[in-house]
Parts: sequence; C-alpha cells; structure tokens
Amino acid sequence: MPGMLMDSGGAIVPFSGEPGLAAAAAPPVRTIRHGVTPPISRVYVSFSSGNLLQVACLRPPNPEGGGDRGEEEVAGGRVVEVNLGGGGGGPAGADAEEEIDEAEMRRIEYGSVPAFALLQSRKNALADGSGMSRLPSVSEHAEWWQYVLEYSKTIGSLLGNPDSLPAFMIDDPEIILKVREKPTSLKAAWELLEIFFVDKQLQTWLPERLVDWLADYDSLLTKTQNTIYRMLSNFQKKLINLQVVEDDPDYWSGLSAALSVGWLDIVVNMLRFHGSYQLDQMDSRETENGLVEAVAVLVSTMPRMRPDLPSGKLGQCCKTRPDFIKALEKWRGQGFEGMHQLAQKCIQLKPSADNSGLTGLLTGILSENTEVVLAECTKNFGPWMVTHAMELLTADNDYADMMLHEERPNFGGISIEELHRLVYAQVLCSHALTWQIAPTYLSSCLNQGLGLLEILLLKQPIQDNRIILKTLEICRLYELENVSTNIMKIAGIYHWKHGRKGTGVYWFQQANDKVRLDRIAQQLFEHIGKSVTDDSFKQWEGLLELLGSDIGSAGGLEFLHRYRDFKRSLQMAQEGRTAESVRQTVEFLIQLMRNPSTPQRFWLPLLHDSVRLLNCKPCPSLSVAETTLLLNKLQELSLAKLRPDFSNIHLPSHALNSVRLALASNLARAILEEPSQKRFPTTELTGLPLFCFWVYSLSDIDTNASARNAHTLTSMNTLTLTLLL
Amino acid sequence: MAEPPSFRRHPHPFSIDLIRWLPSSTSSSDRLLAAAVHDPAAPSSSHLHLLPLHDPSSPLSSLPLPSRATSLRCSPSVLAAATSSGSLHLLPSSFDAAESAGVSVPGGAGFHVGPVRGLDCGGVGGEEWVTAGEDGRVHVVGGGGDGRVVARRLWDGKGMAGYEAARWASAAEFATGGAGCGMQWWDRRKGDAVVAQCKGVWGRGIVTGMVHSIDIHPSRKHICVVGGSSGTIFAWDLRWPQQPIPLSGLGLNGTAQPVSESEVWEVLFDNYTQSSDIISSASARILPVMMCSEDGILAVVEQDERPLELLAEPCAINSFDIDPQNPSDVVCALEWESIGVLTRGRDTMAEE
Repeated sequence: MPGMLMDSGGAIVPFSGEPGLAAAAAPPVRTIRHGVTPPISRVYVSFSSGNLLQVACLRPPNPEGGGDRGEEEVAGGRVVEVNLGGGGGGPAGADAEEEIDEAEMRRIEYGSVPAFALLQSRKNALADGSGMSRLPSVSEHAEWWQYVLEYSKTIGSLLGNPDSLPAFMIDDPEIILKVREKPTSLKAAWELLEIFFVDKQLQTWLPERLVDWLADYDSLLTKTQNTIYRMLSNFQKKLINLQVVEDDPDYWSGLSAALSVGWLDIVVNMLRFHGSYQLDQMDSRETENGLVEAVAVLVSTMPRMRPDLPSGKLGQCCKTRPDFIKALEKWRGQGFEGMHQLAQKCIQLKPSADNSGLTGLLTGILSENTEVVLAECTKNFGPWMVTHAMELLTADNDYADMMLHEERPNFGGISIEELHRLVYAQVLCSHALTWQIAPTYLSSCLNQGLGLLEILLLKQPIQDNRIILKTLEICRLYELENVSTNIMKIAGIYHWKHGRKGTGVYWFQQANDKVRLDRIAQQLFEHIGKSVTDDSFKQWEGLLELLGSDIGSAGGLEFLHRYRDFKRSLQMAQEGRTAESVRQTVEFLIQLMRNPSTPQRFWLPLLHDSVRLLNCKPCPSLSVAETTLLLNKLQELSLAKLRPDFSNIHLPSHALNSVRLALASNLARAILEEPSQKRFPTTELTGLPLFCFWVYSLSDIDTNASARNAHTLTSMNTLTLTLLL
Repeated sequence: MAEPPSFRRHPHPFSIDLIRWLPSSTSSSDRLLAAAVHDPAAPSSSHLHLLPLHDPSSPLSSLPLPSRATSLRCSPSVLAAATSSGSLHLLPSSFDAAESAGVSVPGGAGFHVGPVRGLDCGGVGGEEWVTAGEDGRVHVVGGGGDGRVVARRLWDGKGMAGYEAARWASAAEFATGGAGCGMQWWDRRKGDAVVAQCKGVWGRGIVTGMVHSIDIHPSRKHICVVGGSSGTIFAWDLRWPQQPIPLSGLGLNGTAQPVSESEVWEVLFDNYTQSSDIISSASARILPVMMCSEDGILAVVEQDERPLELLAEPCAINSFDIDPQNPSDVVCALEWESIGVLTRGRDTMAEE
C-alpha cells in the first residue's frame, strides 16, 4: 500500500508501534539505499520469493509532460530488493551454536538429491514388480526398510561428521566431557527418526540405542532447563577448584544423573575422582576407597542389551533378552538396584515446556503419534526435513503410509506427501543455485509435479545461453519436448530483439520454428527490396548464411540464395572484370530471371544492378537470346505497372530507361557479333521486333502509350533495324 | 606403482563457475588454483578467488568482478577473466587483492557488449589475448607499451554470429566457434580474416550445434578439438577443413558409444593419457582428449576407442583443468557449489 509522505527527516512512513505495547521494544530499522531523488510520492512494498522484500519508490509524475525529456535524466523511481534474512534484525531465538547456515543447508540439499532419487526409483521398481530381482531378497517387505535405512544413513552422513568421536572420554582423568564439534538438532532429529522408524535391528536394544543418542545430543534437548550434559559440563568447570570432590553435592547428583541414563564410562570416570584415590589419602581411607572401586567395577560390568559397544564404552554386552535377564539378575545380585525405563526417565527429566523441538519430537515418537512427529518436523526443521523424513516414517508403518499417501480433496486432491514435496520444491526454486534440483522432487509428485515443473522451466532466465542449455537438459531428462521447444523460441526472440541475430536464428532453428524463420526471410526480402544496391549486402549475406539452405523450401529463401550468389559474382566481376567472372554473373542473372520463384518486384532492381555489366565493352555480355529474355521480362513488368497491386520499387526514375538503353545497345552488339545471325534462328526473329519496341519506347514515350501502340511494332520494325545496321 | 585415482570434493558457499590451475613458481607444495565464483545472495556477487590446492575451501585472496565470469585463462604471468557484461580483466597470476587490481578493459560499445566466452592467450610474443563474444565481435588485446592495454577490433559480426570459444594456434592464427556458425580459422597475416570454416559434425541429427570449447595441441597446430552441444566432440583438421572427424556424439557414425548426451562444456588435450596406439601416434590419429559435461561426466575420449570415464557426478561439471606441470592432477568445478580434485595414478594410466 502506498504510504504517505512525511515532512520530517526524510522518513516516508511514520512508525508509532502498537498502541497497547508502546515502547516495548524498538522495531528493527533497516536503511534502504533507493537512490531516488526526492520528492518521493509513493512507496510500494511487496514480498518477493524467500526472504526478499521488494520496495518500490516512485517520484510524482512530471506535470510538465514529456516535451523535452532529454534535458533531465531523472529516474521516475526504483525497485529495491531487501533481504530480510541476513544480518541484524533477523528473527530472534536463532541459536548460534548449532545453526546451519544457508550454504551448509544447500550442501545438505544437494547431497540428499541422489539418495532421494535412488530411493524413489527403487520404490517405482518395486511397484512395477520388476527390477528388484537381482537384489538378494528375503521378502519384499523385509527388504524395504533396509533400503530406507541405507537412504537414511546417506542422508544422516550429510548432516554431520559420521565418524564423530564419542562425546566423553576417559583418557585424561581430569576431563569428564570432551569438547567436540557442536551437534545439530537436525542430525539429532534425523537419527531419532531412524532409530524408531527404520532400523529394525535396533528394536531389541532400543533403550541402549537411546542412551547412545543421548550421549550425542543430550545437550540439545533444552536450552532453558538443565540437562545432564549441562550438569556435567558445569561440574567440569567447577572441578578445577575443588579440593574434596565428594563434599560437593553436584558431584553426587552428576553421578546419579549419568548413571540413570547409562553413561557408565562417565560414572566410572567420575567415581575415580573420589578423594580416597588420592595418593596421600590411600592409607587412611583404604576401606572407603575399596567401596568406591567396587562400585566402579560393578558399574563398568553392568549388563547392557546390545550387540556391541564402541571402544571406550563400558558394560557387558548381551545380544539376546534371556542372556540379558540372566546377566541382569546376576548383576543385581551383586547389590544394585535396576535401572528405570530409560525413555520414561528422559521424558521425566525434560519438562514439556521446551523450545528445541527435540523433546516434542521425542514425545511424539514415544506416544506413537505420526501426526505429531510430522508436525514437529515441519515446525522445527522445515521443508527439507519433512520431505526427506517422510520416507523414514513410512518405512515400516502402514498407518503413516496410508496417512501420507491418501489423496485429500481439501488439498486439491494431492496427498500430504505430495504437498510437502511441492513446498520443498518451491523453496528450492526460490534460490538461483538450487532450482536445478527441484525437478527431482517435482517429478516425484504425480498430481501437480509435472505442471509445476513446466512452469519452473519456462520461468528460467533466457538471457544466458548456458542457463538455457542447462534448462533444456532438464527438459531432455524429463522428456518435455514441447517445453524445450517453447524455451528455444523464447530465447530466439530475446536474442533477435537484442540484435544478436545469429544466436536468435540459431535458437529458432533448434526449435524448428518455421513460422518465425519464414518471417525473418520475409523481412530480409523487404530489406533487400528497399536497398538493393546498398552496402548492407554484407549484413544480410550473413543472415542468409545463418538461415541456411535447408529451409529453402519455405519459399523466398531459394531466391535469396540465388540472389546472394549473383551479388557476390557481380561484385567480383566489377572488381576484376575478367571475362570469366562476367560470364558467371550473366549466368546467375539469367537463372534468376528465368526462375519463377523470383518475385516480379525484383526484376527491375536486378536489371538495374546489371547495367554496368551490360554496358561493358568491347564485347556484349549477353547473347541475343538472353537479351531477349530480359527484354521480355521488362515488357512484362511495364504491363504489370498498370495493375493496381503493383508494388513500387524504390529506384531512381531513370532506372528503367538506363536498363532499356543498356539492353538495347547490348542487343545491337550481340546481333552484330553473333555468327548465328546469318542463319536467322527463331530466337533472333522474335528478338528483333522486341528490340525495336524498346528502342522505340526509349524515346520518352509513356509506357501506357507504348502498350497501346504495341501492335504498330511491325511498322517500326523495319525502320529501326535499318537504322542500326 | 600405480596409485589408485583419488577424488575429493571441497564444498564452497557459492557457485564455482570456472576453475584453472595457476602456474606455480617452484615446488609442488604451493600449487594454486584460480576460481571464478558467483554468489547470487551477495551484493557484489562475482569474484575471482585464489585458492591453495591443499585447502581449496579457504581463498588466499579475492578480487571482485563487475559481473559473472564467462571465461578464465592463465598465461605464465597473467590471469585473465572475461565477464558476462563484456569486460576483460588482466591480473598478475599471483594476484594479491590488496595491492594489485590489474588492468581491465570495460565492457560496452568500445569493446564487447554481452558475454565474452572466447578468451585465450597467445599471438605475437605469447602476450596477446584474443577475445570473442556473443555479440559477434573479435578483439586482440595486447600491451600498449606504456603499461596500458590496447584492444584492437579484428571483426564485428554485428550480431550475425555469436562466438562461444576462441583458441590461438600460432602467433598469427586462431580458431573461433559459436552458436550455429560452427568453426572459423582466422589468419592475421591474411588481413585478419577467416580463411577456413566448417559447420562441424553434430550428434542427434542436428545440422549445427553450439561450440563451447576448443583446444589446439601445441605440437599439432593444424588440428582443433571441439566440444559442444548434444555430447558432440569432433576434431577439425585444417588440411581437410570440410571433413571434421567425429570423436563422440549421439548417433554419430564412426564413434563408439557417446561418452555424454548433453552439453560438453570444456575439452582439453590430455597429455597424461598415453595414446593406446603408440606406434602410429605420429600419424593423423587424434590425441586423447579430456572432456567435462552437463550430465556430470569427466572422461578421456580417444578416436576409435571406448571412452575412459573418470568421474560420473550427480551434478554438472561446468569446468575443469589439467595441471600443466603435473598432468595426472585434474581440478573441476561442480554445479553443486564445490571443487573436485582428482589425482590419477602417477605412473600408469588411471583405471576405474
């Protein structure tokens, strides 16, 4: 909406805040360099793609009108794009320690394309019931989650360093937590989905897997509440100044917290900080130390129901449940209480009021509520996550499969899956560097994907040939031939209009655009018709070269090619003036005049071009028969002049006469020189009366009159012949 | 002793349009790359970066360009970049953004209007730059003797031809190629004129395609190898200018399976790959050629041989360069904002 112009301080739109929340917080102010000289009468603001805001600043219309606009070159206004995403004033709450920047997100987007495409093609192959035969198969169902797991691992590896070291280490006894690369919520969420929805191997030792997950991502669970990670890292800071660790309650609470989630290595490590281990204390605190060490040993041998353990982790692995129960009983028998349900503990530890999204996701997963999981993914991690995570949700879950794939009338007949893919594709399209990967996702959308893909391709810029070729390559991959033809036509028009006629014609030819190529040929025609003797020969010669001969069937181009040959030859003849080149030129001229495709309006210009050739001495250039042909054409032309549809040629008025004169004198010399004259061949007989006619009409008699008097030729015949001979 | 070929990708936060090896002074440890980069989100969106090979993700220096780079070449002492707005920028090849901005020829009516795709160093004394643009103009840019550069117009096609590539063959001859106009051979001794031309031989049944890249081997200056539309690679031997030799292309007679079906962006003679026909290597046989394409292929193509595929990436390879000092090393610019470094085995030909 246009804002009102304020008088003071150059501010265009006054801002006074909400009446109720006055002066709560200063609004973020952004300076826009629009470069429009004041006064500015109107400001339009609209959202462009992504975070771009378009601001149009317009000056008042010039009241004087456009009389002499050359004097003052002031722009009437300007549109400025403002990126609201970057820099200050961005949305608050972005957590710097784990934020994924735009370039990093694009890297993830690029990397997930091949994995996504592979999974889709496998899915299609499975649906076709073919193509999977070469893969070792147990049953189709059992196989599918393995493919999804492979996909999930590939994507997961994009989200962070896959071989990241364990979070905690025991190498340095003074360090509980190892500082390492900050984990991201995105990776945490992805792994969580993988654990619960895809990896069936994990089902028997899910709690243990959750322990591992917590070890990696506990720090992300909340930003406001305490986490075990934070508890331990705070204690770590404190540790340096502590003389007697066991006197500090944080030591014990940290111990119990770590123990409750099964971080045995941490617990054992922390137990060894106990004062009784210090060398000077050993003697007096022997019993105490023995107790602590016994606890540490017990903790380190706690049975864990999992196939294996990474190095550095403590505990005894039990692969099956009976083994685990047996081991647990035995272990409990050594004097320890069992652990609580780990997942329950996690929920209890984290209050529901939380902003990281991981807790919400975890709650959704544990309550087996796919809708909540999907909603949490959408809310917290954006379109990339939803689009790719849907594959995990449906890996082995019939309800999710049905829910995501059901076509819904309230979404315009598309499924939730398609909706999210389309949204993600839109995000990709909005960036100049990622639009090329959007087709992968659009093509997986059966209902609306192809339509949007066509729109996307047609909207790509056509200024740069390389970008056109990249767009055309996508058209080729998806067999969108009509789209590529349209793009080539649009590109052709763009280049043609900008004076790059060569490139323009190239694209028209690639598009097989006969209509436009014919129109160009027509333009050439008119151009040539106007200035046939002009030096612009080179210009249209090049264009003719471009148009090529393969579209000669289109009509006038055949003539243009012959005409080009004639002009070239004529130039050579006039420069070199060898008998050979003259002969060649005459041949081209006669061919042109004989050919029915030569338009009548070119006859006179052609002859006029050849006047110098005809006058060339000593010997006549044209034979009697050839001259006769030309004379016939000239007469035909004179008669045609009488018709109303005759198109006037822009030639000097004396052109006709000079042609007549040249032809006449040429004919005269030809008759004299040709030995055949004595044999009176038929051509000559018809030639003579015509010759006389033309000489007659040379004497400035009006063409109309000459036409009327054509029947009097016979009488004139004898007279003129005598005269010349 | 052949090491297996290794390939590393180095992600960047922007598009890498073109990449070249810079001639290094001495040891192999300080090898440098020059890259033309483009970041559509940044206000000054196009730059030239100088990158160390061991860590191509952190540029040593950076120089802004007025618009997106359309061609990039190195001579022993000069790095040259031409842009989509028609300008040419010449920098010392070990440029330091702080002190030297180099010299440039601004785009516009006096030089090129629109993208300059053809750029090569050579000519008299090896210090002349030929430029050929989509506007149909051809210039030779050289030193004016007083530290300035002088651009001399050889030809103005007035848009009738759009040039996409240019390459010097000798001090007086160079080749150009473009959209729809095929290949031209220019001779400066004959009035700066085109002395031979050829439409080329194109795949997929098209009459004329678009030439994207030309290379001429220093030891065989009468043969151009040309890469262009529809996976087409052909050689043009000036001794038989009307009989281009097809090397690869869709549906071309006389070639093996086409190595690519999409645009061949760049071609270079590959000195590293030994011609499989060593005995007749002095004959008319075309030397091995490396190419990169829109469909992500980096391969070595040889006449009458199966192409050797080095990379098959999921995204386009827009540009590549073979290290002139150590031809086993190849660097390439990937569409998905990254630089790829390929090291082939040092002693024998690389195998998949």
